[in-house]
Amino acid sequence: MTPQILAIVMAVVLLLAVIVLLRSYVLPEKYAVIWILAAIAAIVLSAWPGLLAAVSAFFGISSPINLLFVGGFFVVLLLLMQVTLELARTRDELRRAVQKIALEQQEQSRSDD
Amino acid sequence: MKVLVAVPALNEGAVLAQVLESLATVHPLADVVVVDDGSSDATAVIARAAGATVISHAINLGVGAAMGTAFKYAARSGYDAVVQFDGDGQHRPEHIAELVAALDEADVVIGSRYAKSGGYKSSAARRGVQRLIARVASAYARTRLTDATSGFRIAGPRALAVFAQYYPVEWLGDTVESIVLATRQGLRVRELPVGMNERVGGVPSQSVFRATLYTGRILFILGLASIRSVPPQVRGSRRPDGAKEAA
Repeated sequence: MTPQILAIVMAVVLLLAVIVLLRSYVLPEKYAVIWILAAIAAIVLSAWPGLLAAVSAFFGISSPINLLFVGGFFVVLLLLMQVTLELARTRDELRRAVQKIALEQQEQSRSDD
Repeated sequence: MKVLVAVPALNEGAVLAQVLESLATVHPLADVVVVDDGSSDATAVIARAAGATVISHAINLGVGAAMGTAFKYAARSGYDAVVQFDGDGQHRPEHIAELVAALDEADVVIGSRYAKSGGYKSSAARRGVQRLIARVASAYARTRLTDATSGFRIAGPRALAVFAQYYPVEWLGDTVESIVLATRQGLRVRELPVGMNERVGGVPSQSVFRATLYTGRILFILGLASIRSVPPQVRGSRRPDGAKEAA
């Protein structure tokens, strides 16, 4: 058994997990695209190791595995950035919603008097 | 049949008074709800002054969420059907009666500006995109749909029961995905030719790049909707077609 099979299995499991989460309305469509692309990239790279070697040679990286680490790290950073921005936006929306409710309650209690 | 006209509105202060005035000629404003989707202008004040019921979202949630709120309001207030009517003056109130009448043979009726030739002028690229979307949407709904993204539509009693529990909130999901959702719930979707006015506010996507993105996104939503099971909110309810439940 070659390690390639393990890599392909893991990539396929990732894709299946994304599809199952999408199907059950847990993963919203907005974030689905990037996860589907990541899963497909993982499948292609594991099923076709020659591609990684060719791209590494093009960039002058002597050991192809380093390209995988650098590339994977970069993608993870981008995903983390997206999550951070979403969190910031959600906090901002929550703050505005609570403020608006508070103002409206104050208005209501004043008109009740 | 008690019909509610729902107007999802985001910063439509400039045209809303005029739109509500034209609506009032065919439908009592007491049965019109303006869902103000977090507007920063006077949309809510104008709508209330005109005599419509106003529901304000504290923040902007999108058209789909605004309609979701309208469907929940309609279900709680005992309405039988909900007409979606844009606040930008694009839709014509005189077609509302036709939409209501069409409910005799369908649960969701979509006002199409393309069903009738010469009803609406648009660029060749836009027409091509619309034709592709129409073909795919028609295949899903098992009926001829020429304007799947039209926001001028009516949901009858059975559709209202489903949409009050779950309505797609993603951009374009509210129009396109809701058709697939309705079909999968065993509801009948039909279209009705209507005339539409040139839209006053908002810029339609015109460039080739944006049109491609737009088309890709709609096809992705349609593909996604077809692999999706029933939304958890709807799953517990009685299924009209008695279809098998997903495990």
